Amino acid sequence: MEKLGTLKVKNLNKGFRSGKEDVKVLNDINLTVQPGEFISIVGQSGCGKTTFLRLVVGLESNYEGEILLDGKRLNGPDLKRGVVFQDHRLLPWLTVEKNVGLGLKNGRNGEARQTVQEHIELVGLKGFEQHYPHQLSGGMSQRAAIARALVNRPEILMLDEPLGALDALTRMYMHQELERIWKQEGITMIMVTHDVDEAIFLSDRIVIMSSRPGTIKKIIPVKLARPRDRAGVDFLRIKEEVLEEFHLHTETPFSYTI
Amino acid sequence: MSISTRVAGFIGRRYHGMITFLVLVGIWAALSHLKVVPAELLPAPDTVLKTFIQNVASGLLGKSLWASLIRITQGFLIGCSLGFLLGALMGVSLTAERLFAPLINALRQVPIIGWIPLIIVWCGIADMSKITFIGIGAFFPMVVNTFEGVRSVPHGYLEVARVFEFGKWKLLSKIVVPGALPSIVTGIRLSLGTSWMLVVWSEINTRSALGIGDMLDSAREGGRMDLVIVCIIVIGVVAFLINELLGLLETQLQGWKKVSR
Repeated sequence: MEKLGTLKVKNLNKGFRSGKEDVKVLNDINLTVQPGEFISIVGQSGCGKTTFLRLVVGLESNYEGEILLDGKRLNGPDLKRGVVFQDHRLLPWLTVEKNVGLGLKNGRNGEARQTVQEHIELVGLKGFEQHYPHQLSGGMSQRAAIARALVNRPEILMLDEPLGALDALTRMYMHQELERIWKQEGITMIMVTHDVDEAIFLSDRIVIMSSRPGTIKKIIPVKLARPRDRAGVDFLRIKEEVLEEFHLHTETPFSYTI
Repeated sequence: MSISTRVAGFIGRRYHGMITFLVLVGIWAALSHLKVVPAELLPAPDTVLKTFIQNVASGLLGKSLWASLIRITQGFLIGCSLGFLLGALMGVSLTAERLFAPLINALRQVPIIGWIPLIIVWCGIADMSKITFIGIGAFFPMVVNTFEGVRSVPHGYLEVARVFEFGKWKLLSKIVVPGALPSIVTGIRLSLGTSWMLVVWSEINTRSALGIGDMLDSAREGGRMDLVIVCIIVIGVVAFLINELLGLLETQLQGWKKVSR
């Protein structure tokens, strides 16, 4: 028997119609994600990684194969699966507090307020409850979006290049924050990214996808102790391994045989 | 904010606009006092002011303005709310768009003058026809802008609603209406502007007992250019004030935009 919260993707195929042509976006994707696991999906743009994520969220339909959560076929979006988009998609006319509470069914009662407050504190936005999105920096907006996605206590959080628009330093800081939130909530996270360092820093496993059609090329487990050292030898070795898949590794064998 | 600081703020913002206005009045005064233009064509500002005071005192100006405002309110409310409802319906439903968009796009091209014969035959020349003219004029800008507004709500926000399993009501109140609001307010403004134009126009065309347009036309017939100018200024000022009020409502509704970084 599988543990509760297991996501299973079997023989997933997805195509789009573009004019008269059928374009195959995803080809025979097979992946099992254990509850509490942090998975990164890495690939070049156009490899179908966002489509894959949208399929799991339920924003895309008409696919072949199976996407199962606890053995049940997914049917449209569900509060059990939260999502953080690349563009934070906070509603500009609502305060941080109201944006975070957006997903709650009874946003006004005391319990809901408590939940909202807890999640605002979880992402480190205490004191910014009454701010509007345009008053926040990019990193803060993404924090609010993460709080909003977590407020319903989903089993799985899907992240679509959530930090892609942030500057390098803020991004590194957000990696630590994301890791802390992941540990604290004990939630499954599936993140789409094209940042290899980000994937290694955060993931239990890295799924590498190749393009046209999108297929899983390799799955690389990252068995490093957390928090991870970006400059560590093992970290760099895994980075080489990942980059090799994209034919981007440098031919300097000494760098990892010290 | 207290009333007095608001008034002060308002005058502050309009200060430069006032200069233009005063300079214009100055030129006007000079032209008429130096007798460059004969008084029958362009009466002096003080004559106009005197006529204004007389007509306010007699109550005629107030009553006429009131009668016109009532017509505007009726026509505007009917046309604008129908426009909002149909525009919103077309915005959220593809079927409604397919059914109504071609018709709306054809009818809105018909100049209001084109409606005169039908409206007068159907509604007579009393208040009913004037309200209908205003209603038609207010309807079209509202339909178009509400529709555009609803359609321009970013797709990403609609996906947020799907992810959180919003019901229809929550989708409308939290996302569609706030997202469409700027466009809806533009629709209201355009509707109101058209309403003003049409009340004066319809009062001149099909005369009635009372109305600012009637007053203006009577003054023309009597060769009273001072009274004509009084009417023009009154229409301009009142319409301006209503527009300002609407602007205030707009900032109130979109408070989130005002807060600066």
